[in-house]
Amino acid sequence: MSNDALPAACGLGLRAPHVRQVLSERPPVPWFEVHSENYFADGGPALTALERIRATCALSLHGVGLSLGSTDPLSHAHLDRLARLIARVEPALVSEHLCWSGVGGRHFNDLLPLPFTDEAIAHLCARICEAQDYLGREIAVENVSAYVAFGDSTMPEWEFVAEVVRRTGCKLLLDVNNAFVNAMNHGFDADRYLAAMPADAIAEIHLAGFERTDLCLIDTHGARVAPEVWALYRKTIARIGPHPTLIEWDIDIPEFAVLEDEAATAEAILTEHHAVAA
Amino acid sequence: MPSLHELQRRFADALLAGEGAQPAVRLAGTKTAERLGIYRRTIATNYRNALAATYPVVCRLVGARLFHASVDAHVAMHPSRSGDLNEYGGTFGDFLAGYPAVSELRYLPDVARLEWAIDVANRAADSNADPESVLRALAACPGDRLPSLLLTMDGSSRMIESPFPLLRIWQVNQPGHDGEMSVDFAVGPDRLRVRRERSGVALERMASGDFAWLAALSTRANLAGAISAGQHADATFDLGGALHRYIGDGTITGIVDAPLTGTSGASD
Repeated sequence: MSNDALPAACGLGLRAPHVRQVLSERPPVPWFEVHSENYFADGGPALTALERIRATCALSLHGVGLSLGSTDPLSHAHLDRLARLIARVEPALVSEHLCWSGVGGRHFNDLLPLPFTDEAIAHLCARICEAQDYLGREIAVENVSAYVAFGDSTMPEWEFVAEVVRRTGCKLLLDVNNAFVNAMNHGFDADRYLAAMPADAIAEIHLAGFERTDLCLIDTHGARVAPEVWALYRKTIARIGPHPTLIEWDIDIPEFAVLEDEAATAEAILTEHHAVAA
Repeated sequence: MPSLHELQRRFADALLAGEGAQPAVRLAGTKTAERLGIYRRTIATNYRNALAATYPVVCRLVGARLFHASVDAHVAMHPSRSGDLNEYGGTFGDFLAGYPAVSELRYLPDVARLEWAIDVANRAADSNADPESVLRALAACPGDRLPSLLLTMDGSSRMIESPFPLLRIWQVNQPGHDGEMSVDFAVGPDRLRVRRERSGVALERMASGDFAWLAALSTRANLAGAISAGQHADATFDLGGALHRYIGDGTITGIVDAPLTGTSGASD
């Protein structure tokens, strides 16, 4: 299969518990996304399985560990592994997060929030360009969920994200669930956030479920997509047209059929707007 | 305003501080210390889950509660240095050897070392061994060069020696095991070779001479050094048989005709 763009259809995040089933049953999923780091191995059964799936299906590589926003040097070892995986599976898209994961050589292996400042924009832009130059290809960057906000931020998150994308010319992986979670956690209007996202740069959309707690919404990727997020997704697709969309589920992973059911909901919304576009 | 680096440093310090500690960064909104705790708990859970996936037998032997406490203590002592969580945890076996809460389970560190070797074997490069060409190259090597030969090994092979019946401990703690659970601690030591084969990772108990010879080769001893290690472990060590067996099964993947250095044994 060639290195084509992702289809404007709903793909699924492929996780270890489903790999065997996907290989044996070959469900009609238009494309899959995996976490890049889970395939940084030199060889072995996981990589072989991914190559078999990739032979018939488009693939998006989604990184969780590059730590683009960290003030530590960008890890060339990490980029080397990513470059090798890209060469091996020829993904349609490579993405990372607008976050940092560690400082002073210590990794927390989590997606930590950035302050929305000019300094952080300049730093992120330089790092995104460095990563793109290193890999010799464009990447997409994803807006992350956050439970705290920095008092030193000088602009709203939507301006920060849009400016990083505008300055670097990179693609945007728009996570509609993260926009909603942050709107609830930090008290802003999710519609305003989503309307500020540069439509031309959006290469992929993420949808996932969150958990409500007394403190705030937690972006667990462990539940079905919430009704409010489906409503925002429908509005987004109405504004920007059908785009490749992904259902993510990372904890308490359900039967594969549950993911397919979520994808059918997204597919119905995409179809409404395919019809409008036609 | 603090620099981005300073903000990240203070945020990291706040994550490492105890639950409820007030961070030295200005956070907007309410209940910020509690909300910071969400990150702290997510991070701890990620490491617990990652190591539980790598060390299922250790987890089963000590129970989830003690396992989580040991992972937390390990993370505090050996923080992650990589954005790839799959690389994390290779020091867990050595850590457990000095962790007082599990000191009664004296075999536990070796179980962890075995599980790490299995994990590494699962991620190693696919073998492209060609036994016939290795045998041909060996046959073509002038006799006076043989002692200084280095033999290259399949990247998935790991050698583990334990004074405990490690293979049996591992086997009776596998999810599919439904037979007798007893372990005879009078049996041992175990010398194991872990290696990924076509069907998956295989664990094999080895004779002491073969083990010492292969272990020496795997630490880049030359052939003469490895032979003396094999003979030291077992006076009846059979070099011809060992070469035939481990070239034939693809463990030894090639030979390197290295210049004589005047020493034998491990060179790095």
